[in-house]
Amino acid sequence: MNEDLHTLSGAYALHALPEHDVVFFEDHMARCESCAVEVRGLSETAARLGVAAAEAPPAALRARVMARIAEVRQEPPLLDRTVEEPLPKGRRTGDRRTDVPPSGEHDAEGRRAGPPPGDVVPLRARPPWRRRVAIGLVAAASAAAVAMGAIAVDAVRDRDELRQAVTVIAASDAKTVRYPVSSGGVCTMVLSPSQGRMVVTTRGLPPLPDSRVYEVWLMGPDGARPAGLLEQAEGDVTTPLLTTPLRGDQRVGLTVEPAGGSDRPTTTPIMVADLPSV
Amino acid sequence: MRTEREPAGAPVPGEEPGLEELLSQVALGHEQAFDRVYDLLAGPVFGLARRVVRDRAQAEEVAQEVLVEVWRTASRYDRTRGSALSWVMTMAHRRSVDRVRSAQASTAREERVSRMSGEVPYDEVSETVTTRLEGERVRRCLGGLTDLQRQAVTLAYYGGYSYPEVAGLLRVPLGTVKTRMRDGLVRLRDCMGVER
Repeated sequence: MNEDLHTLSGAYALHALPEHDVVFFEDHMARCESCAVEVRGLSETAARLGVAAAEAPPAALRARVMARIAEVRQEPPLLDRTVEEPLPKGRRTGDRRTDVPPSGEHDAEGRRAGPPPGDVVPLRARPPWRRRVAIGLVAAASAAAVAMGAIAVDAVRDRDELRQAVTVIAASDAKTVRYPVSSGGVCTMVLSPSQGRMVVTTRGLPPLPDSRVYEVWLMGPDGARPAGLLEQAEGDVTTPLLTTPLRGDQRVGLTVEPAGGSDRPTTTPIMVADLPSV
Repeated sequence: MRTEREPAGAPVPGEEPGLEELLSQVALGHEQAFDRVYDLLAGPVFGLARRVVRDRAQAEEVAQEVLVEVWRTASRYDRTRGSALSWVMTMAHRRSVDRVRSAQASTAREERVSRMSGEVPYDEVSETVTTRLEGERVRRCLGGLTDLQRQAVTLAYYGGYSYPEVAGLLRVPLGTVKTRMRDGLVRLRDCMGVER
């Protein structure tokens, strides 16, 4: 394991890591079982520090909370019922995704209540442990690809880009992953190793003011690098974005950035997803 | 035995069998179960928010948000990934820290940190922590840390400071702070007998 990264476990459990470090530490933790175990123990320890600060809450708080829950719909479980086998631990991503504030509101917790693993839908040559997952979802994946093709026709102004996007989506080795975005909506990624490209599109993301833009990141051992900005297309979808993942890239991130984009993420990611596995 | 394991005056809901079960009932929409969860967790959640954000009204807001979030997302609690207590307290701490950090423009905060360098504000923090801690066990375990470990852990956890800020406050290198946070927490973990 990477000793330097590993020493961040204490600061991580204390929520003392700056946002960028959180992304990279979680990226590391997703692949480092001993780190994840250590963080769990340290988080439990930090929780005791919290309990030690217990203080009687104002009596009015109970009434307010109870009144509020009467009006708040509960979230359904995040487990994907079509996934009959748990993903191997090493394939799990960090839980950070739900830990992200939906537009303005600060997140729930996320670290422990991880969202489901993405709908990993390899279209071909899937490893055995994924086969049952794939069987359940392959139809959905095809539908997604078709839908994306339709979106591309509507949304892509540049014919050449459209052609390339369709080539990626139609490639025989294309793999599709769909991920929930914490601020709302879904991100769909289609990666074709033979084409060396990945198409990223979204549906249902909250509209942003003109001063802000959705930016996609590719995250590898050297950190996060800009992969492009998502443009609002017609309706609630964004124009398919062609990206070029490099060997070693592990994850795809999505953040809200100032108009024009940033060189490095400046806000909490609203999605961090594993790259469709090659 | 059990009383020795529990901080005086502060319930340790995670050790009462049932918080996990209660949450699974809450996930099914049982308001009575949530009422019980509230009994167990409102004090710790509110107290932690108070400790971090200080302002009572804001701490109440944070506590309310967290407790409603427990109701809303109970179905997403996964007991294989840690205790229910840890799930909720992590959420409470995260929200408290977010509240503190978003309240300050980052530049203002940096200025404040550099201004505070050398002024030993941590004495005040850690003393407050140690004298006000209701948990005997936690206090004893904190007492078993080196000064630097204790300051690093308490400034981050109760003060809501990031580790670069803590390094600035304590005037020690970043790497040292990272390491002290980790080995300090490890020592606390072992002292408190937290299951791994």
